Amino acid sequence: MTATKTFHSWGKLRPATAKLLAPAWIPNDLPGTGPFLAYGLGRSYGDSCLLDGGTMIETRFLDRIQHFDPQTGILRAESGITLAAILRFCVPKGWFLPTTPGTSQITLGGAIANDVHGKNHHSAGCFGNHVRMLDLLRSDGSRHTLRPGDPMLAATIGGLGLTGLITSAEIQLVPIRSAHLDVELTRFCGLDEFMEISASSSETWEHTVAWIDCVASGNSLGRGIFIRGKWSDRGDLSTHRTARLTAPFEMPGFTLNRFTVQAFNTLYYRRFLGKTKTLHQHYAPFFYPLDGVNEWNRIYGKPGFYQYQCVTPTAAGTEPMKQILTKIAASGQASFLAVLKTFGDVPSPGMLSFPQPGITLALDFPQRDPATRDLFLQLDEIVRACHGRLYPAKDARMNARDFSQTYPQLESFKSFLDTKFSSDFWKRMTSATTPS
Amino acid sequence: MSTRPYHAAIFGATSAICIETLRAMAREKTTKLLLIGRHPGRLESVANDLRSRGAECTTLVADFLDPKTNWLQILTDNAQSDPWDLLLIAHGSLPDQDTTLRDPESLAAELHINFTSPAVIAAACAQILVKQNHGTLAVFGSVAGDRGRGSNFIYGSAKAGIDTFLAGMRHQFSQHRKIKIVTLKPGMTDTPMTSHLPKGPLFSSAEAVGTQSWRAIQSAPPVAYLPGWWKFIMTLIRILPSSLLHRTKL
Repeated sequence: MTATKTFHSWGKLRPATAKLLAPAWIPNDLPGTGPFLAYGLGRSYGDSCLLDGGTMIETRFLDRIQHFDPQTGILRAESGITLAAILRFCVPKGWFLPTTPGTSQITLGGAIANDVHGKNHHSAGCFGNHVRMLDLLRSDGSRHTLRPGDPMLAATIGGLGLTGLITSAEIQLVPIRSAHLDVELTRFCGLDEFMEISASSSETWEHTVAWIDCVASGNSLGRGIFIRGKWSDRGDLSTHRTARLTAPFEMPGFTLNRFTVQAFNTLYYRRFLGKTKTLHQHYAPFFYPLDGVNEWNRIYGKPGFYQYQCVTPTAAGTEPMKQILTKIAASGQASFLAVLKTFGDVPSPGMLSFPQPGITLALDFPQRDPATRDLFLQLDEIVRACHGRLYPAKDARMNARDFSQTYPQLESFKSFLDTKFSSDFWKRMTSATTPS
Repeated sequence: MSTRPYHAAIFGATSAICIETLRAMAREKTTKLLLIGRHPGRLESVANDLRSRGAECTTLVADFLDPKTNWLQILTDNAQSDPWDLLLIAHGSLPDQDTTLRDPESLAAELHINFTSPAVIAAACAQILVKQNHGTLAVFGSVAGDRGRGSNFIYGSAKAGIDTFLAGMRHQFSQHRKIKIVTLKPGMTDTPMTSHLPKGPLFSSAEAVGTQSWRAIQSAPPVAYLPGWWKFIMTLIRILPSSLLHRTKL
């Protein structure tokens, strides 16, 4: 039975209609002619997880643990298991993910295919740095067990699902004594102060990130809260709860405007008195503050939203990021979900991995085209000039030339493509006539 | 008895709701499980998942449609050394209604896998429980069995049959206070079996339904709706006059 289904990515900009495969067991081969693309939980923001008119392989039922060694913390599992399910399994045993993005609602396969990063990038690198092995099923029916050192593994980590179907993977977990973190919040104003705190934290704090107000201008330009945490010795090994709240419907477009966002940001910035505040926080609110509300992307309403995530390299200094922040503040288009973080110099394992040493900014923009895209074009210019780049997992509109010029290993990557795999993102990046 | 692991045999251990039921069980109890199914590879992958979660698992490959297989002998032999706490019957298949109706052979096969086979196994299991005078027999029915509806009455009628069969057995064994017979009735659940259906607000996750199945197995009511609010919905659907029902596409 081949059914078709409409798929969305997290930004809900353009749905894709595709034939559906939803294997309950790791398949021996892929039926049909393709093109194929794996789809986990659809948390990629743009179109890298969509393949309109193709065959999309839902992996979320492939969720079984294959092996766990409680002595070494090595976990092998099928690729559709969620990070949330891994945590519910391993936290009570005193183990945690080696690194985690800002949501646990993604699959293991998706974490590898996008080579996701987290608050401890400066010490742990990317998710792919902790993959010990993975199994790949190609459209020709061949199966490959890939280990570090294998160039096909380097192509598959961060390879956006284009090298075949990741069916299972083995990762190294890290030991924890408590499910809680000792956390310190520090207010800062401006990028220079952010850089100072960041530099002084990287040695002693395992996890660092900052929330930045991208709406405030004038004296408040670049104000934010620096968040740093380290695993605590105090507290139990309790796991997170599943979300109780769901955003009930797609909110009307006017809910999020300059004034509501500004009000929210001011409240958030003023949520504690004084310069710093210390907390003893469970990992769920620390790493996954938004996982408490199911389908929060509905707050952006029917038109959907973009996320713009770029990195500006260390060599370029802070000037480009200052320009970017100024431009965004002047546009008044940003929403409240803005994140700033410095990437460390742990080499990224994937040919198309996004992180490189420097500063990364990620923030959401309600879709109000053409104004939103026009702003992005201006930001692109700054990123291009300083040899930074954009994150494909978040992208819905990147210029194909920028992609090929800022991912220097793209040509080597292409030799590992599975010719029957594709995605809307990939089609956009490789079609001959690309609009800018 | 108290230090003895919870001893259970599961027919059709590879169904999604069943896997979640066993995961919930393994979270709370020391368990010793016998997983019975048709596909050795699938059984082994479920067994490995449950072993990682602390359960002791053995697997048994058996075809439930073949009366000559040896599961009954193995269950009976096992009961002598270590009585069963739970015998759980979970296999089933959701056919495509229209194509199956036009093909008598596959229609018969669907009725067989969803009614005849679980009924035959349930009858044998009840005898084992009576002999050891202890234990719970739990069988997955479905809310689909509560009223014949145009969209899925092949599956529904077989599940209705199982529901009636179990109700009759409860009556027959009502003097055996230490034996419980439970009909588990999941509502619409997000599993590979329903992956092609559009998901409305009535769908529950397999994890939620599995966790509630485990609760129901422990408290052992005669019939458990999963989640509980399906009882309310199905009561409404049952009392809906045919003249109204026939105007819907349910």
